[in-house]
Amino acid sequence: MSDPFSINGGAAVAMVGKDCIAIACDTRLGSQSLGLANNFEKVFQMGKTTFLGLTGLATDVITLREDFRLKNNLYKLREEREMEPKTLANLVSTSLYERRFGPYFVSPIVAGLGKGGQPFICGFDLIGCIDFAKDFIVSGTASDQLYGTCESLYEPNLEPEDLFETISQALLNAVDRDALSGWGAVVYVVTKEKVVRRVLRTRQD
Amino acid sequence: MPGLSFDNYQRNQFLAAKGFGTPRATSTGTTIVGCKFAGGVVIAADTRATAGSIVADKNCEKLHRLAPQIWCAGAGTAADTEMVTQLIASNLELHSLSQNRKPRVITALTMLKQHLFKYQGHLGAYLIVAGVDPTGAHLMSVQAHGSTDIGHYQSLGSGSLAAMAVLETHWKPNMTKEEAVQLCAQAIELGIWNDLGSGSNVDVCVMEVGKDAELYRNYKTPNVRESKTRSYKFPRGTTAVLKERSWQVVDEQVVATGEPMEVDA
Amino acid sequence: MNATVASEYSAERHSVPIEHRFNPYSDNGGTVLGIAGEDFAVLAGDTRQVVGYSINTRYEPRVFDVGDNIVMTANGFDADGAALIDRFRNSLKWYKFDHNGKRLSILSAARYIQHLLYGKRFFPYYVSTLIAGLDDEGRGAVYSYDPVGSYEREQCRAGGAAASLIMPFLDNQVNFKNQYVPGSDGKKKKELRYLSLEEVIQLVRDAFTSATERHIYVGDGLEILIVTKEGVRTEYFPLKRD
Repeated sequence: MSDPFSINGGAAVAMVGKDCIAIACDTRLGSQSLGLANNFEKVFQMGKTTFLGLTGLATDVITLREDFRLKNNLYKLREEREMEPKTLANLVSTSLYERRFGPYFVSPIVAGLGKGGQPFICGFDLIGCIDFAKDFIVSGTASDQLYGTCESLYEPNLEPEDLFETISQALLNAVDRDALSGWGAVVYVVTKEKVVRRVLRTRQD
Repeated sequence: MPGLSFDNYQRNQFLAAKGFGTPRATSTGTTIVGCKFAGGVVIAADTRATAGSIVADKNCEKLHRLAPQIWCAGAGTAADTEMVTQLIASNLELHSLSQNRKPRVITALTMLKQHLFKYQGHLGAYLIVAGVDPTGAHLMSVQAHGSTDIGHYQSLGSGSLAAMAVLETHWKPNMTKEEAVQLCAQAIELGIWNDLGSGSNVDVCVMEVGKDAELYRNYKTPNVRESKTRSYKFPRGTTAVLKERSWQVVDEQVVATGEPMEVDA
Repeated sequence: MNATVASEYSAERHSVPIEHRFNPYSDNGGTVLGIAGEDFAVLAGDTRQVVGYSINTRYEPRVFDVGDNIVMTANGFDADGAALIDRFRNSLKWYKFDHNGKRLSILSAARYIQHLLYGKRFFPYYVSTLIAGLDDEGRGAVYSYDPVGSYEREQCRAGGAAASLIMPFLDNQVNFKNQYVPGSDGKKKKELRYLSLEEVIQLVRDAFTSATERHIYVGDGLEILIVTKEGVRTEYFPLKRD
């Protein structure tokens, strides 16, 4: 209740593996303690191997998803190439800082493979301060819980299949201890060759 | 659309008035220091970024480049120190290009203080600015409201008291480069141990007259995590999956068909 | 009126009158964790005591052997925690005087602590309380409380500053939550089993080193009190001090 970040609830997390990344989110949309929808995904594909996760106030999540879709498409038209994850990160950062004194209430995360399949993940605060990390990035109302599960379950250089298990268990157990997150989960595992999208079985309470 | 947008301001004030509190931005509850020595200046910082009582980033960069030989250490609201520093770095380069002179520390400081004063303290940037220019080595600091300070040694941030304790005890005039680096690193380390807002590693930047600036990223790493007692790798198939879909990542290749397009005469 | 984004350093101006009021509570940080095994129980806590951004001391024991093979901790506001544990110890002493040195069972200790806490319903002890020991059948037991005495017996529980970080990890590694048997297509849950003491100590150590990494109020040292039918044993492991 006490801040706009925790009206709708939701959580997202990204992890780096061996030549791969994974990004996952829950699918709950709520109004305080009332659950409204169980199909509100918070991770969006911005390029072949680039993903953007947005948690926070749902109206801003949708607004920014559309804003970044527009900016991403214009970039593709102008440059005739895809946006690198690093470029997207800087775009997100500057777009958020533009609203320094009237911010969107979101905590975005970016994950993707850069040039040559280099894994890249980062997170932001609501006014665009970038947090570059080598291991994992968390966001949303379950961020404390996610910090706990990720910090203890994560290990570097996991193969895509192992990374999937680790990120899924980190997310699932974290959202089960958060009243405002859960109600379904989606995980993307991204390698140079392919993207795998899995819908997880979760608690429904 | 130049400048900042206040589109959401009214909505957010409404939300605040309705009892939804105001969220807290990542703050670099920090220890930063600077110290002059014979023929140059050195600055140092810790690498912890916090969001409330949670560590958001264990190894962030608080040393920013304003110009090749002018660097600054930032404390306060993380986004503000980063953005204000990038803006001034750009303007400083344009200025030095148009004047055909190397940028000066006092110029950087003046630009920073005028910018910050304009925002009446709402940009939470607290910086230690240091560098070498044609007039020598300089060490200054600027606060969010625009006030500035000049001295032989400076410290800022939540760990500034711990750091200043070291500086006040061990500082002496005309130190060597090595002595100054040691002093700064030790001051930061005291902040790391004794201030909860500071932690992890020590970054150092040395600027010497007539030489390129040297950034020692993670000059000291006294906080490497010990390895866990065991691995928490899960057997594959542990997680229950409802649906699975995958698609190939194909490299977009411009395929030239060889056949030229037909055009009228 | 509040500013749109509060920052630690900016001196925000308020147009509402400033209200001054004595606040008798403070947060001294720290985290505790209890796990019950088949024939043992552990209660662990870090040894850092803080207020605000300062460390008061790097070694202030949080978990205590209160007698009769019961260990206890009351984490949150340390003065309240100390007062509660003192009161319990005192009561246990008088219980023995009055009842010819009779041993207090963990069941009775648990119920008694509820009354100690609820007795201050309208000026509560600002603590999350945990006790651990062995029940009458000799099985490990952990009881956890809210500040006003609502309690429950559990297999494991984390309390204090980093409780939210540690608890989901415990769900996963002690009660095997969200873990299924590979190949069962997510139909068969991973079977529950009692963890050995070595496994439990490993979990506790990893939970605390992880919490130390991400929470500024956790660190310096980890003290684990282990209850078996032989008595109470203490182990100490250093934690990061930044």
